Amino acid sequence: MNRREFLRDVLLWSAGLSLAAPRFTVSTVLAAPDPSPLVAVGTGADYVKLTAAVFEGLGGMGKFVRHGDRVVVKPNIGWDRAPDQAANTHPLVVRAVIDQALAAGASSVQVFDRPCNDPRRSYKNSGIEDMVRSIRDRRVRIEHLDERKFVPVDIARGKAVSRLEIYRDALEADCYINVPVAKHHGLSRLTLGLKNSMGVLGGNRGRMHHDLGQKLADLATVLRPALNIIDATRILLRNGPQGGSLADVKTIDTIIASADPVAADAWATTLFGLEPGDIESTVAAHAMGLGEMNIDAMQLRTVTA
Amino acid sequence: MPGPDNRRNDRTAGAAGKRLRPLAPWRRLSQALFLLIFFFLFIKTDYTGTDRLEYAVNILFRIDPLLAACVMLAVKGLVALMLPALLVVGLTLVLGRFFCGWVCPMGALIDLCHPLLRPRKRRTDTLYPALPYLLLIFVLAGAFFGLPVAGYIDPFSILVRGLAIALYPAFNQAATGFFTFTYLEAPGFVNVVTEPVYSFLRATILPFDQKYYTLVMLSAAVLLAVFVLELVQRRFFCRNLCPLGGLIGLTAAAGFFRGYGGNDDCKACRACRKVCRMGAIDEKRRLAMTRCVLCMDCRDKCPRGLIGFRFSPPSRRPAPVSLSRRAVMAALGGAALLPLFSGVRSMARVPDPFLIRPPGSLPEPEFLGRCVRCGECMKVCIGNALHPSFLESGLEGMFAPRLIPRIGYCEFNCTLCGQVCPTGAIRELALPDKHTCKIGHAFFDTDRCLPYAKGIPCIVCEEHCPTPEKAIRFREAVVENDRGETVTVRQPYVVDALCIGCGICENRCPLPDGAAVYVTAAGEARNPEHALPAADTGLYPPP
Repeated sequence: MNRREFLRDVLLWSAGLSLAAPRFTVSTVLAAPDPSPLVAVGTGADYVKLTAAVFEGLGGMGKFVRHGDRVVVKPNIGWDRAPDQAANTHPLVVRAVIDQALAAGASSVQVFDRPCNDPRRSYKNSGIEDMVRSIRDRRVRIEHLDERKFVPVDIARGKAVSRLEIYRDALEADCYINVPVAKHHGLSRLTLGLKNSMGVLGGNRGRMHHDLGQKLADLATVLRPALNIIDATRILLRNGPQGGSLADVKTIDTIIASADPVAADAWATTLFGLEPGDIESTVAAHAMGLGEMNIDAMQLRTVTA
Repeated sequence: MPGPDNRRNDRTAGAAGKRLRPLAPWRRLSQALFLLIFFFLFIKTDYTGTDRLEYAVNILFRIDPLLAACVMLAVKGLVALMLPALLVVGLTLVLGRFFCGWVCPMGALIDLCHPLLRPRKRRTDTLYPALPYLLLIFVLAGAFFGLPVAGYIDPFSILVRGLAIALYPAFNQAATGFFTFTYLEAPGFVNVVTEPVYSFLRATILPFDQKYYTLVMLSAAVLLAVFVLELVQRRFFCRNLCPLGGLIGLTAAAGFFRGYGGNDDCKACRACRKVCRMGAIDEKRRLAMTRCVLCMDCRDKCPRGLIGFRFSPPSRRPAPVSLSRRAVMAALGGAALLPLFSGVRSMARVPDPFLIRPPGSLPEPEFLGRCVRCGECMKVCIGNALHPSFLESGLEGMFAPRLIPRIGYCEFNCTLCGQVCPTGAIRELALPDKHTCKIGHAFFDTDRCLPYAKGIPCIVCEEHCPTPEKAIRFREAVVENDRGETVTVRQPYVVDALCIGCGICENRCPLPDGAAVYVTAAGEARNPEHALPAADTGLYPPP
């Protein structure tokens, strides 16, 4: 099925003209997760250097981005909040990830998210839009989502959800890099890497919130980042996920990275004085064999910058 | 080519002159230029990446002397925002009704559409020449006595509102629909062309996202009627209805710029009279400055080059308008008496509880008195939250903005509606004031809210609540769910002192139809009578 046939089927199916629902074929037979995933944790006040150091800890960006790859960098740009309010990924971390991807030979780097607040305000006031534009490289684009590009995807292994609308570019990227910010959340307690993936979903995302942990794990069966970088340079301890008061923000100058999304989330959980088992999505994803949540089973690389 | 002095000599000498170098092309250029500026400012009436708007996008309404007069009569005081209208008044005294012919975007659009809307029957005389003045009297007196209806008939209100509410969103939907079709259906070689075109349009003239409004059909119908009436008579609206044109015409007649037409020596061909779009030239080829918009058609078409304009002393002024005393009394009396009825409507005692006004809105009577129904706030509202109201605040309140949270919520860090309001009906708020400006209050419908009604966990409202200290919080409760299981859920409640009524909770409530949390005008800062019960107990900080 080529692109055109696929899109025609999408249209016909959504118009109710065809019984055969189109399927965006996503392989659910993923490579078995590493039984002993590498997790790099770095601390340092220079976030660009820190991010680079964390990549070194994982063996270099070249392990994840091959020459000519189309890269998608998915930060959290959920809210109309300033960088110091810790509701969105820090722009310097986003910048460093893009720089690394370009250095590794990416043919294009796309940056996007589907914000909860007004998209333009969120892109702008998160500092991410200006930071990405300041790179001034034709390969790098920050763009707002195009409604036409959401495609229905069957979640074959899903336990709580069987179909989701997912942004094509996220699915089609050669290398999808998840760059969440670690922060408090009223329902899932924390929002980390698996939760950040909700930013590529179309439709009414509010419905995800019933049995959220399992649904996030279900989503992780079809959307598997090549790399997860959790921004914990400053973390929102209360009144998440959007915060607003600097009294709720704690600066800890930390970044966690791993190819294993569950392991990265699990380790980041400990920064909040919680156990990995406290986070439903971590538990659900681990139970589905999507990654490791046991801290003792991980290979930890500690770096400082 | 005779210069102005020669022309005077020709006329006094009665000699056959030549056609003059045409001026109408300059008028068309001016119209095109102002129309482009108008559309530019219209498109820029939007968030453009900065919290402050870069352009005075509302300037058209602030130079409108009719609206300025109405707003000042309504508040019975000077409104500094509207003082630029003096510029138009001053220029009209010097240059006559040039505004209608050379500047007005509505006039320019009407002229632009004229080739498509030619009247079948040529009617030289204005059908209802007194009507603009009667409307003017009614609108001005209404503003004074508390019947704010200027926005119904002001040309800019009709134009911007119709564009913002109806035509522009519909244009976007058509364009987006077309490019979605090509994207999904057309072969690659078509998309190579269409996709860059679409990107270009998105970046330039199309809005950022699709907006949806109330009263779309009505707003469109009012605007389109102005153009359909063009089939009856050329510049029908300007000649027979426009009270702004009437006001500008009266000002022009009081000024010292006069047109001179054919005289006894001209051959009385009446080409000038036939070509006049305003019916400003009578059988004796005299130009009425109340009506003439200086389009220059008669001057350019006069085969003998007899028509021109000059400054002239006030003594030659003819009586500008003849109105019947009875009609004037009816207009004045209607405007004075109707507010007596509006004052005894149910809504005067119990306002619509769901009538939420934009943040910074003045108390209701002054708000309606100032609001000119221009639609600027609805156009600029980044969340698609503001909509034209229908009859919630009475017939005269129609098209004034109201917030409908289920359609769009008030963005916490946005102050654009106060920035674009040309009259100060919506005060411009500094961001810290906006953050605490209470426009309404959220209530939970516990029969529908999932944690209450179904024992299902849901926190979407709390997650989106924008106040730094959450105005929506939880109480843990043990309830029995639909499956008969006893579960512990977190049930949301509203903190009265923190909720500002922005409506994001109602907007994002994941229930498929109506929300389980809804906002009313309760507690709105602008109306002390709407204070919440807890306000008296000291739990709620005084405004």
